[in-house]
This record gives sequence, C-alpha cells and structure tokens, in this order.
Amino acid sequence: MLSRLLLRLAPSLLTLSCLGMVIVIWFDLPLRIPAIDETALHSFKIIFLSLILEAFPFILLGVLVSSLLQVFVSDRMIQRLTPRQPVLGVLFGSLLGVIFPLCECGMIPVVRRLIRKGMPAYIGIVFILAGPIVNPVVYSSTFMAFRNTPALAYSRMGLALAVTITIGLLLYRYMRRNPLREHLPQSAMAQVVGPGHDADHSHAHPANRAQGRFTAILGHASDEFFEMGKYLIFGALLTALIQTSLPREALSGIGEYAWLSPIFMMGFAFLLSICSTSDAFVAASFAGSFNSDALLAFLVFGPMIDLKNTLMLLAVFRTRIVLTLIVLCFVLVLIGSYMFHVAVFT
Amino acid sequence: MMSEGSRSRLLHHLLRGLLLAGFAMLILHLVRSGDLGLYIAPRMAGYVKLSALGLYAAAVYQLYAALQLWLGRRGAGSAYDCGCGHDHAPSASLWKNALLYGLFVFPLALGFLLPDTIMGSTLAAKKGVSFAGAHNVERAAQPAATPQPTAAPEVPEQDIAAPQDPLDAKFPADVYTETYAAHAKKLYLQEQAIAVPEQQFIETLTTLDLYRQHFVGKTVVVSGFVYREPAMPKDWLAVSRFAMNCCSADSLPYGIMLRADEAGSYDADSWIEVSGRLGLDEYGGNEIMILEATRIAPIAAPESPYVYPDYEFGFEP
Repeated sequence: MLSRLLLRLAPSLLTLSCLGMVIVIWFDLPLRIPAIDETALHSFKIIFLSLILEAFPFILLGVLVSSLLQVFVSDRMIQRLTPRQPVLGVLFGSLLGVIFPLCECGMIPVVRRLIRKGMPAYIGIVFILAGPIVNPVVYSSTFMAFRNTPALAYSRMGLALAVTITIGLLLYRYMRRNPLREHLPQSAMAQVVGPGHDADHSHAHPANRAQGRFTAILGHASDEFFEMGKYLIFGALLTALIQTSLPREALSGIGEYAWLSPIFMMGFAFLLSICSTSDAFVAASFAGSFNSDALLAFLVFGPMIDLKNTLMLLAVFRTRIVLTLIVLCFVLVLIGSYMFHVAVFT
Repeated sequence: MMSEGSRSRLLHHLLRGLLLAGFAMLILHLVRSGDLGLYIAPRMAGYVKLSALGLYAAAVYQLYAALQLWLGRRGAGSAYDCGCGHDHAPSASLWKNALLYGLFVFPLALGFLLPDTIMGSTLAAKKGVSFAGAHNVERAAQPAATPQPTAAPEVPEQDIAAPQDPLDAKFPADVYTETYAAHAKKLYLQEQAIAVPEQQFIETLTTLDLYRQHFVGKTVVVSGFVYREPAMPKDWLAVSRFAMNCCSADSLPYGIMLRADEAGSYDADSWIEVSGRLGLDEYGGNEIMILEATRIAPIAAPESPYVYPDYEFGFEP
C-alpha cells in the first residue's frame, strides 16, 4: 500500500523538487544542505512530535465520531438529512463546518463514513475542503492575526466559499464514479445498524447489546486510527524535514516577484501543513514581505490541500479525484485571490 | 491449536495495543516531566491530555482482543467482519507491516530516547527572526520615521508630562492600531523602565516598534536566548523568544537587537536578561530598534521558554 503510494507520488514529488531547484538557481537563493548534526536532530524531533501530538486529539475525535456514526446513525437518517437539490447540497456541505468545526485531520474519516452511509460524495468533498476554513474558530483566529486588515478574514471566508461551491457544482456535474477507494457491498453496510446487528456480529456475549456496541466503537476507532495515523506520521515526518532544512530567507526573497508570490505561497502552505486554526499567525508573519493576494492564497489553499492531508486524502479517495481536486483548488484559488486582491485590497 | 491467520491477528492486536499504549505513555511522560509545553501551547495541552485517555482505551481494547484470541475464544475477532467496509484484514506482506509499524515506532523512539530540548538558534535561523514585532501591524496615518544614521539616543523634546492632545498626536492610531496606541501611551507615561513581559512579549515589542521614535532613550528590560546572524556586527546580538500558537511547528521567533562591547562573550542559546536604552539603527536595509546595553545578566532558561500571543491584549480594563 505504502510502496504503491510512494511509487505513485515519486514522479510528481521529483518534478516538484526539480521545479524547486530551478527556482533556487534562477533567483540565486542561498540554500544550504544541512549537515545531520545533533541540533538539527533535536529541531527535527521538536517539530515532528509537536505536529503529531497536536493532531492526536483531532484525529481521535474524528475516528470516534466516525465510529459513533457507524454504530448509532442509520443510513436512512443521513440520507434524509442531506439535501437532494445540488445547489442546496453544495451550500449545506460548505457551511457544515460552522456547526462542526473539525480540522482537516479529523474530517477525513468522518466524511468517508458519511459518504458510505449515503451522503452524496460531492457534498462530502465540499465539506472536506470548506470545513477547515469556513468555521468560527478559524474565522476568529484569522481576525486576531490580522487585526489591522480584517478584510483579509472576510476575504478568506468568501474565497473559500466561492472556491468550494464551484468545485462542488463541478463535481456534481462531472463526477460519475464513486470517488472512494474501495467498492463496498452496499447491502452489508445497511445491515450494520439494523435489527440484525447482533446476529451479524456474533460477539463473545451476543446477549449484551450495549457491550457489543461499545467494543464495536473501540474496534472501529482504533483500526481507523492506525489507518489514518500512518499518513499523519508520514506527513509530519516530511513536514518536519522541510521545516528544519529549508531556511525561510530562501523563500521570502520570492516576495519581490509579485506575479509569482501567490503560487509560491500556495506551495509553501502545501509544504508547511499546519492546522488551519494557527496558520493565520504564520501568514501574518509574512505580511511584511508579501501582498494580500499571496497571503490570501496561502490562507485558502493551505487548509484545503497540503502535504499531510493529501496523503490522508489518498488513503480514502481515488488518486484521480485527489489530483483533480488539487488542480482545481490550485487554479481557482489563484484566480480568486487575484480577483479579491483587485476588488478588495486596491 | 491456533490457526496461522489468528496467530497473525493476535500479533497485530498485540502490536497495535502496545503502540497505542506507548503513545499514551509518551504523553503522560511529557506531562509528568513538564516538557509537554515544549511541544504544545498551554491552550492545546488539555486536549492532548484527553487524547492520552482515548489512546489508553483503544490500547486496552486491542490487548483485550489479543487476549481473547490467545485464549481461543471464537468470537474475539468478530468485530473484524462487521461489514463496515474497511480493509480490516492486515496486509500479509512482512516488510509492509514492518514499515507500517516502524513508522509508528519512530516517533515513540524519538520521544523516549532523545532528551527534550527547547527550540533555539538553529531553528530560529531557519524560521527567520522578526526584529520588529508582528509584521502585520502597519503604522497608521503617519509617514515612516526618517532613518537616523547614528544610533545616538535622542531624548524626545516634549518629555515632560505631555497633555492629552500632544500625546494623541504622538501616538496616532487607526481603528486597528488603537490597542497598540493605548498600550504605547501607558508605556510612555510610566516612570520606571519598560519591561517586555512574557505575557505580552510580541504585543509589547510591536508597540515599541510601531512608535519607536518616541521611545528612543527609554530603558527597556527584556530576557531571552542569545541569537546571532552572520550579517550582524561583532558587538551585536539578538535577545529572542519563540512565540507559539498551537504547537512548535507554527511557532515563530521574535527578538530585539542589543549592542554591547562584551556581546561576543555570550554563547548562542544562552539565556540573558538585559536592560538597555532604546536606540535606532539599520539592519538589512530596514530601520530597527536596538538596545544599548547597560546591564547584561546571564539567567537560567525559564520554566516556560516560549511566549504566546495574548488574546486578551486590548480587552483588559
């Protein structure tokens, strides 16, 4: 599984790193290859562990909610609650984060469960993209970080909504296949919560329904934890390597090239893979050297697509749909941030 | 007799149980030693502690399932074919499994075997230290101060208890820098030296930098670790702190320059408390604040080496 993933990712990663090299050479940026010494290892450890520890509560919450949904909420209820009408559905998906402010690590297992239970996939994907941005926690932290330019906080919400609604409608129109990785026998899923639940499960104590459900929840949750956890740890590892080896001054020089800076900041957000609740403060630290369109691109693209969550998305969704999403997000955010820049900030 | 399949399942349950327990114990270990704060901001620490409980519960479940299999209870593995559609059955390939579990063992090994250290100069250099407080606050309605070629501290002309209006003129603000202007007036009027407290480290540095020309000559007291950049003159160093939002990955270093004849005698990453008179100088093409040291005292690294954005800033009475 992992080796397949590596093989699949290798060409694009190599292309990206080549592109990075070209940029480095082109602009003559200072880049030092770090010697593996003790302080570098310590720095790596601090970043690596802090990323994992910070994600644990959210990923656990995600797999717990997913298991609770699996065991307690029927498919019929999910299907009844989600709107049929596509425009309403896309709006519903993009605003779901207001009620459930989960971050992206916790969101992916929940959405997979919801799609399996009959929520239309385009709504689920819209929730994955919009949820980490369009929610009150992220709004207030962005507002805090950009006290003197609150327009950036509004624009962040607005652009995220515009991008996800567009993507949602495109997905509704053009996505025909089940985007999830596995094909499932639908009938088997429908049985799980039905009256035949205990018969299906034949637990050690078939008579004890409550205990059966409890162990089912723990079983689901811990298996899903490992399933998601490996991508989290791999993503954290890459992120920590990048953060401890790539000096930032090498990056901020690009801020001088206005046309390049939004693209660059999106790439930077992708590599940093930090949670959407705290990325606004990191973006704020760039405010001196980058224009608002680059900051906006960073703030909207990063939570939708980054290294860590691309790996997690690939665990759940087909490669083709993930790549399509990355390209769509990239193009739409780029165009959108430029339009917002012209309309709001000048 | 145990079948091949259930023996491998037992092994998987056992390994997963141990790994989950390992992560729970790593969190407990960090809480006990007080080092959790080196990785996670206090406002997130509660959630991380809670997640240790969740990890324990999952570990107990996995070990219980392993025990059931070992005892030969038939029903034990049944949660695995519950039809919920994930690929419960672990992969059969040995090296894939080794890679998978190795990936989980790696952070545990780092966590338990390497000593916990605090972020210092190495990371600060990678992340880039800000010498002007938060970048995102711009000067309001005022032309940029004319750079002063010499760093000679000038005493502001109207130093004597300025009436309300001149004070407002000195600290102009728009709606977004209001809190900084209010803070600046408070600092400006106070008799004693301006301390840069841990509580409002970034906010105070930003305030000083925003209205730096009015604070020239004032005494500032600040503590932090010693940081140097190759471009800095020999008699300069930076007194720096890492500011953390959620975790170390999103932390950024902030600092203030210090000029002292004996600056070279302080090692990078050693902790000092300094007082000095605020002046201005140029660094990397920007006008920056610099302290002319009057006193430097080595101190021990504080219990909590990082500073955090003060969410109450501007809302306190």
